[in-house]
Amino acid sequence: MRDNVNSGIDTAASKAPVRQKTNWGRLFRENAVTIMFVVMCIVCLAFSGQSLSYVMYELFGRLSRNAFIVLALIIPIVAGMGINFAITIGAMAAQISVLWVIEWGVSGLPGMMLAALMTVPLAAFFGFLIGKLLNKMKGQEMIGGLILGYFANGLYQLLFLFIFGNLIPLNAPGLVIKGSTGVANTIDLSTERGFKYALDGLWSMPFVEATHLIFAVLFLVVVVMLVAKKIKTEKALTYMGIMGAFAMLLQIPAVASVFSMVKVPMVTFIVVGVLCLFNTGLLRTRLGQQFRAVGQNRTVANASGINVDKVRVIAIMISTVLAGWGQLIFVQNMGSFQTYGAHEQVGLYAGAAILVGGAGVRKATNGQAILGCILFHLLFIVAPPAGKNLFGDSAIGEYFRVFISYGVIAAALVMHAWSGIQKKKSAKEALTE
Amino acid sequence: MTKNKVQRIVAIVLVAVAVVMAVVGGIHLPQRSGEKATAIIEELRIRTLLDVTGVGLVDTYVEIAREEAMAKGKAEGLSLKERKVKAEEAMAETRAKYESEGVEPQADTAILLPVVAEYAAQLEVYYDLKTAAEEAYVEAHMAEAEAAAEAERQAKIDAGQEVGEEKPVTVDMSGFVATPEMEAALASADESFVAVGEALMQIYPALDDSALKTLKPTITNVVLQQGEGFTQLYDRYMAAGSGEALTNPVNAWLIRYADDLLYGTAALIVLALIVLFYETLCKKLGIPRIVLGVFFIMLCFMCLWFDLSLPSLLSNTLVRMGMNAVMVLAMVPGIQCGISLNLGLPIGLVAGLIGGLCTIEWGIPGVWGFIVAIAVGCLIAAVCGWLYALLLNRLKGEEMSVTTYVGFSIVSLMCIAWLVLPFNSLKLRWPMGTGLRNTIGLDSTNFKHILDDFLAFEIGDFTIPTGLLLFMALMCFLMWLFTRSKTGVAMSAVGNNPRFAEATGINVDKMRIIGTVLSTVLGAIGILVYSQSYGFMQLYTAPRQMGFIAASAILIGGASTSRCKISHVIIGTFLFQGVLTLGMPVANVLVPGSTISETLRILISNGIILYALTKSGGESRA
Repeated sequence: MRDNVNSGIDTAASKAPVRQKTNWGRLFRENAVTIMFVVMCIVCLAFSGQSLSYVMYELFGRLSRNAFIVLALIIPIVAGMGINFAITIGAMAAQISVLWVIEWGVSGLPGMMLAALMTVPLAAFFGFLIGKLLNKMKGQEMIGGLILGYFANGLYQLLFLFIFGNLIPLNAPGLVIKGSTGVANTIDLSTERGFKYALDGLWSMPFVEATHLIFAVLFLVVVVMLVAKKIKTEKALTYMGIMGAFAMLLQIPAVASVFSMVKVPMVTFIVVGVLCLFNTGLLRTRLGQQFRAVGQNRTVANASGINVDKVRVIAIMISTVLAGWGQLIFVQNMGSFQTYGAHEQVGLYAGAAILVGGAGVRKATNGQAILGCILFHLLFIVAPPAGKNLFGDSAIGEYFRVFISYGVIAAALVMHAWSGIQKKKSAKEALTE
Repeated sequence: MTKNKVQRIVAIVLVAVAVVMAVVGGIHLPQRSGEKATAIIEELRIRTLLDVTGVGLVDTYVEIAREEAMAKGKAEGLSLKERKVKAEEAMAETRAKYESEGVEPQADTAILLPVVAEYAAQLEVYYDLKTAAEEAYVEAHMAEAEAAAEAERQAKIDAGQEVGEEKPVTVDMSGFVATPEMEAALASADESFVAVGEALMQIYPALDDSALKTLKPTITNVVLQQGEGFTQLYDRYMAAGSGEALTNPVNAWLIRYADDLLYGTAALIVLALIVLFYETLCKKLGIPRIVLGVFFIMLCFMCLWFDLSLPSLLSNTLVRMGMNAVMVLAMVPGIQCGISLNLGLPIGLVAGLIGGLCTIEWGIPGVWGFIVAIAVGCLIAAVCGWLYALLLNRLKGEEMSVTTYVGFSIVSLMCIAWLVLPFNSLKLRWPMGTGLRNTIGLDSTNFKHILDDFLAFEIGDFTIPTGLLLFMALMCFLMWLFTRSKTGVAMSAVGNNPRFAEATGINVDKMRIIGTVLSTVLGAIGILVYSQSYGFMQLYTAPRQMGFIAASAILIGGASTSRCKISHVIIGTFLFQGVLTLGMPVANVLVPGSTISETLRILISNGIILYALTKSGGESRA
């Protein structure tokens, strides 16, 4: 995980020297949402009255189950399709797979693997259809994806209420409740048929030891890269310095005690790390270049011989499959899910999280996704108790965080539209002059 | 050419089948009240009666068999134990025999016919009297029951409980006493039952008085129940498995289903017309409207087929159309001024709700309450709409996604506002805890049904909410006038082609502001009309999806994201609400206790928006 933040720092650091000299104000304006969120998190944290170690414990739990699905949004953003709110459909594909894996009674890690395997064709097929449809509404992908998610939710309900359990019988205990139609409201993974903690439970260790281990590995990687001359000496030294400083910081008992409750599910974070590498790696391939080209300008991309429609469909397919896996990670951590509601807010929360991290509708990086995930979920943890302490009502905090989710997206969209129009205007003025 | 021919042939075949069905149905329908129907019912009734009595007699026969076996064993000189074993064997044998074969009548069953017919006639007289007496009782006590229900509601509000969905007021029938006429009729019916009993005893000699006494309620129920006509009796007897007694089952079936045959005829003719004029219809209406229109007509026929009350359902549709029409109308200025579908409608809805809350808080009753609510709502909506329009003017071409999320944010921001706004009336607040109630029940002291009940009249089951429809018509007319005015024409020019409009010297930004403000204000009026008809004001997350519902209704009516007419509002609202209103009871017959109609709403509403997006999308709006 540190790796990702480093890569985030990397991108920031590579641009920062140029900007720092030029314009502090501009830097502030471009990251207004993120800065505002940091402030809000600090304020809420101060008023929440909760111990830092508990907040950290909650945060790492939320991070481990939500980071993957946020990262699934990056490819479509790069391909110029905005935030893919249709990832809810990927989550639906995952839930269909989970249902059948439980029905077949494959439990534990094999069950998780089977569900992941089954999600691939399902989500890819759905992604194909979504991509085809979004190609018919270019420029309106976000609203289209949102409404498509709602529409698919209707189909999902038909499937789970009237087809599974009725036309196609289900036999596993607990999946169907007698006397009511369709699949039960909650699907439980903590029984011996399910795969609760299949991934998280494989290998987990306390935070301090985990960071030591990760730093050791990263240190080795940096040294190897340095020897192979793939990296500049200055950069390598900076990395090592940061890691060393952080490791030293953790030696202070007061800092270490903050993380005392945190148990890091190593495999889950490794998977998240691998996805980050996948995102970066993919964007360096030929296909990745095509994504960028299509994202920057469809007309130009088309003229240079790229099959724009096909590239967009591929981007959505990748995103949908990744979202499905993300939902699987979420579900195995939670241990149960609401059959008819678990997927509904996936697109909203993931979209808001990535925007909080400073991503835009047209550009996003792994670092922004992870940072956004941390900030967004930190606010989710501290807002209700802060609301209770400040206004005497925890419901205010609840509504506040929902408002924040929608508000962040609305603000990001407004800013995006605004800057796009400003650009167009200035281009026009330049032309007329 | 061949396609045309196929169309014609299919249409002709359909019409031919329809004509045959019409003739058969038309011949058989009048026979329901004729002698043939009586004969069919009598055949079925006697058979059911015999079956029921026979089943009741099995126990008697078993007892007889036991006694016989015991006596026989005694005569043969067996020990008590052996005799008991023999007796049990005989009992089991007898039970098995009668349960598999049924009890054989010992005399000609024809003797039952006249006495049962007489008994049924007497019962009918009794039930007619009873129904009339009960109706009179309900009428006499209705006012009392209504007052009690209102008091209970008030008590609930005072106690701070949630007031649920309103149930129709029912009169408590426990105080109902039989009238002397009824008792006389019942006595004479009992007299005629004696004859039935005697006939049954002849047929089943084993039947004794005490067995007859226990069987009497069953027999009475078999013969006739309150309010039953031909169809109900036929269905009940057929369900009891007496169908084989019929001498002419096909004829009986035709008489029973004659009305459904006639409905089928109408359905087939509609289908034939659609097949014949498919292409013209497609061109004029577009595929979504044809699909939904056909679906609506199909639902109408299904209601008739399942014997649901179509007039009252259509009347409900009319009410719901009036309820929603103003909100749908709010889409019109939005589309015409070029902000496409105003999915930020919740801004207007919230303003309207605040207006409604104010009148309840200030305690303004009746019509004035409604007017003040509209005035306050419009004022807030106009201000918010103006600010909203300024925002939208900076985001030309990107309105749809922005408006959606701005609408969502406003709704969730208002969720916090509902918790902290300083309203004091206990009708609005929770007595314990903070904030306003989730749903605020309106009652006769506020503006509940103020439009619905204005000049409303009934034709049979069909209630016409005159005031509601008049208000809808008035709003549509005003809107129509506005689109004809100079400003209106300029506005729709902006919506159709902003560049052209700008070139001709129209102030595009100003037109967009006017359109957005108008749309928001209509949203505020719309939610008040909706609430007065629904009887509740729904706060918190309820307004979130209403923008989508309104948008899908106008799209169903035939609008696109850049063009619309008033007629689209009316057609669209009627079709959408019609499908939902009729869909629910039909779905409940098909899959009892399901939420399939909610699923239907999600699919239709979002499906039509997606369809419109694919039509408007591509590079055209760049």
